[in-house]
Order: sequence, then C-alpha cells, then structure tokens
Amino acid sequence: MPGIVEVDDLIKEFRTFDRREGLIGAIADLFHRRYQTLRAVNRITFEIRPGEMVGYIGPNGAGKSTTIKMLTGILVPTAGAVFANGFIPWKHRTAYTRTIGVVFGQRTQLWWDIAVVESFRLLKRIYDVSDADYRARMKQFDDILELGRYLHTPVRKLSLGERMRCDVAAAMIHNPPLVFLDEPTIGLDIVAKENIRTFLHEVNRRYGTTMLLTTHDLSDIEELCRRLMIIDHGSLLFDGGLQELKDRLWQESALRVELRDQDQALRLEALHIPDVVCDRIDKLTYRLHFPRESWSTAEVVRQIVNAVEVRDIAIEEQSIEEVVRRIYLGEELKEWSR
Amino acid sequence: MEPVKGRAGVFAAGRPGLVGVAGRRSPGMGTAAVYAEFARMGFMNMLAFRLRYYTGIITYFINVSVYYFIWRAIYTYDPNFAGMSFPQIITYVAVGWVIRSLYFNNIDSQMATDILEGKISMIMLKPVSVQGSYVSRVLGESAFRLVMLTAPTALVIAFLFPVVPPASALHFGAFVAAVGFSVLIVAGLNFIVGTCAISLKSILGLLRAKFWMQELLSGLLVPVTLFPSPFREISGLLPFQHIGFTPMMIYLGKLNGAEIMRVFALEAFWVIFLLAFGAWFWGRLSRRLTIHGG
Repeated sequence: MPGIVEVDDLIKEFRTFDRREGLIGAIADLFHRRYQTLRAVNRITFEIRPGEMVGYIGPNGAGKSTTIKMLTGILVPTAGAVFANGFIPWKHRTAYTRTIGVVFGQRTQLWWDIAVVESFRLLKRIYDVSDADYRARMKQFDDILELGRYLHTPVRKLSLGERMRCDVAAAMIHNPPLVFLDEPTIGLDIVAKENIRTFLHEVNRRYGTTMLLTTHDLSDIEELCRRLMIIDHGSLLFDGGLQELKDRLWQESALRVELRDQDQALRLEALHIPDVVCDRIDKLTYRLHFPRESWSTAEVVRQIVNAVEVRDIAIEEQSIEEVVRRIYLGEELKEWSR
Repeated sequence: MEPVKGRAGVFAAGRPGLVGVAGRRSPGMGTAAVYAEFARMGFMNMLAFRLRYYTGIITYFINVSVYYFIWRAIYTYDPNFAGMSFPQIITYVAVGWVIRSLYFNNIDSQMATDILEGKISMIMLKPVSVQGSYVSRVLGESAFRLVMLTAPTALVIAFLFPVVPPASALHFGAFVAAVGFSVLIVAGLNFIVGTCAISLKSILGLLRAKFWMQELLSGLLVPVTLFPSPFREISGLLPFQHIGFTPMMIYLGKLNGAEIMRVFALEAFWVIFLLAFGAWFWGRLSRRLTIHGG
C-alpha cells in the first residue's frame, strides 16, 4: 500500500541574526549583520501508511513542530520532498488543506471572542460540509467530547480542557483522512486527556483516519500509537514499534525481593549467581539486577525462591518514560543512528 | 496516488476533495459563500466589542469640532479660500470624517500581530486565500461600523454642523459607490502593509508611517488641492487621494458626468492593482515565513 504521507530527505534551515554585545557591537550590527544558519530539521525520511496512528516525540526544540509545519504546508522546506494525500503541501496549500485536519495544542483555530458554534459554522462553510453530515458529526462529537454544553460560550471563557475538545472536534468537522496533532493534550487534566484520546481512537477505528501526533505525554503514545518516531537535534533517531523500542533499549531487568528475616538476608547475600548484582535497599529488601541476555527473569526468580525464604518478590517494570528519558539524555545514541 | 477510501459511516459519506490535484475546486458560488461567512464572522467579532463604538462617536464628533473651528478662523480672513465656500469646506471636513469611520480598518496591525505571534498559521491551514479571508473580514467589519458608527455619527454631525446636502441624487449615488471603492483601496493597502511583517522584526514604525500618510494624503486633514506644487502632483499618482478626497469632490458636485466615470475607472484600477499586488507580494513573502513556538 502506498504511503498517505511520504517524506524524503527533508531539511529546514533557519537563518538567525547573531547580535554582537555592547553599544559598539550594536552599532556594528547596523552596518554588517552576522547570520547563523540553524538546521532545525536534518534529512528526515519516513512514510506513513493509511490508517496508521504515529507518535512523533522528541525533547523541546528537537524539530517536531517544524516538521509538522512543513507537513501541513505552512512552512516551505529548505530541501527535500513531502507528498501527502497526493499533494505537495506548500505548493498546493489551498487544495491540500481541504483534505487534512490540524490541531496545534498551543493555539486555537476558534475565534476567541465569539461563541464556539460560530467558528463551527464558518468551518462547515469552508469545507462545504452538508447539513446532514454536519448534524451527524456534531452529534457524534457531542457523544464523546460533550461539546453541547459550551457551544454557545465565547472561546475566551472556556477552560483549557473545554477549548481543546472544541479544537479537536473542529479539526474533524470535514472528516479528513489525514490529521496532524501537535501536542493535543498539553496542559490538560487526566479526564480531559482521556476524553480526547478516546475520541481520537474512535475516529481512527471507525473511519481509518491516519494521524500523526506529537506529545510529551508518553501515555498518549502508549494508548494510541503502535508506531513511534523519535527526533532530536533535527534528526530521526528511531522509527518503529513501541515494544521494539523497549526491547532494544531495555538491556537490564530488575527484581525487588523482600526476605522473611535476617538469616534469610544473609543467605541471599551469600548466594552467588553470575552476572546478577545484588544491592541492599534496607534491612530485608534487596534489589537484584542482571543483563537480559544472560538471564531470563523467571530463571533468576526460580533460583532465589529455591535458595531463600522470600516474603515478597516484585518485577520492576521498565517504563517507556525511562526508555525515552535515556534517549533524550543521549545514552546509546550512536547505536540508534541509522 | 490512489485516494484513500473512508470506511462506512456517517463521516465517510462526505469526505471532500480526496482526489488529489485533479480534485482542486474552481472558484465559484461555493467560494463566494465562504468569504461571505468570513465577512459575517468579522461582523460578529465586532459585536463583541460594541461598547467601544459609543466612545467612537464622541471621538469623531470632537475631531470634526476641532476642524470646524480651525476652518472658521481661516474663513474669517478669506471667505473664498481654496475655491470653496465656508459651508462647503465644513461639509468636506464633516462628511470626510463620517466616511472615514466606514473605510478605516486596522487589519494591517491585526495581520502584523497574527504573523508575529504565529496565529497566521491558523488561516494558512484552511483551504482559503489568506488575502480573501482578511479582505472579506474587513467588509464585514465595515458593514458593522456602517450601522454602529457611521450612521449615528452622521446623524449627530448633520444635526450640529451646517452641512450642505449632496449636489444631486445622482452625485449622492456616485459618492456612495466611491466610498465603496475607498473601503477596498484601504483593505488592499492594509493587506500589503500587514504582509511586510513577515520580513520585519518590528512593524510599528511602518504602521505609524502608513497611518499618517493615509490621513494626510487621503485629504482628510486638508483637501489635496491645497498641497504645494510637487506634492500635489505626486499625490495624484498615488491611490491615497481616492480614499477621502475623491468621494468628497463627488459629494460636493466638483466632479461631474465624464469626470466621475474617469475617477471611477482610476479607482477600479487601484483596487485591482492593490489586490493583485498584495496577492503576489504575499505569495512571495510567505515562503520566507518563520513561525516560532508551539
């Protein structure tokens, strides 16, 4: 199946004006400016197939939003190609934007000072949505997002959660096959986040809508996306499944063991299993960690239970947050570069 | 590329424009309705700030009063100054300010804010022309001001100042049409000025310069016929005098028949030129657009 989005060797550079210090520097700037070229997106290549939900993550300033802005046709790339829904976004902007939906979590596309429903009416007109479709969709939006209560309120009076629900709904009013969401859950409480995730999931399930979403909340990714792309310093570091990411970066397993009494503790300390490191946490609690390639967790558990009397044993979960934190901090980056 | 087929369901029934480049819509009635909707939004948006307009009426009244006394002082010395009688010059000033309340808009600074704060992206993400959406918003705002500002100001001023009626019913009709051109000329100019914000870090200076140039060269403060020689000729080559001076000359009956048709042609030229240049200019500069944050 061909990609609904095809990105090839995409580059975006910004030229920034480098200011000199002090009064003399400021005067010198008047006559001769020094420019610096900053590469925000560096040779990114990927493809998204119809119906996929892809998470796009990276630390602040990694180039996520710049990529989205190029994919949505707002910014013109320095080099490289984008083909989405059959269009080159920045060249066929008006025709292309008809076929996509976009949410920028930090901005609103709704008119600030007038009732939400007026913005929806404008969008209905812009996208040429029939009355029947409009009514049916508004009802469906209302079922999950519960928009009805604040449709007649000016946007400036809405809470962030209410506004975001309206914005997400507004991006779907024309049922676009391709939707870009830039931090759609930023600043929301758990209920509002859950609400928006349910909605996105439902839209994807029902209409096969392709979605690319950026977020800093990895539970968004865990709940919605099977595929994950990680970008940092403008380059794509990882592109694959969530499980694959965990498997590849998760090189050590850990157990937490609580023993019956001091005797058993001494016996555990005496017990020597190669490659397994045993750290004492408090009187009767120990943390054991070992490389995944030399031991399976089950095997280590079996050996311990056979050797000592255990009151409690817990397997430490490797969280996706932990994995991603390590990538952001630059750990094992070389191994990841493609 | 194959269009993506939506699955069965209510949404799928109405998925528009999924046919690639071939599916690009030609402008037509649907498009006009979209921009009419933008105009309606402009109107609604002004409604949210209607209180501002009650003070607006007072501001305009004060401005006309100031000019009334200045011109009265001048006419005490020379009753035939500038080839106009005293009632004519008062009419020129008063009606000039009344129509200013209609054609004046600040989309140049609104646009600059939208560009510098990145809000412009919200318009660019819609399948509409950026220029079309701003210009139609101006029309909605002007319609709002006609009801809330221009009409009440006209009533107050006609009641308090010795304003003469239009030269004839025909002149009045031509005057109304000329004011329509004024609205479009100002909208076209302001879109171009707003677009400059793309390549400027700060646009305040340009906005101020354009504001005063428009106030002066439109003939709002003094009729352009009073400008000293080289400036008068230069201003004749610019679009500004058609914003205020030309409609007033029609109102006062200083232009007739063929002359009116000639200025209409000139005004139509300026509207087309400014809108076309604005569209081209936007197309060029928007490639250099940088949207920070978010």
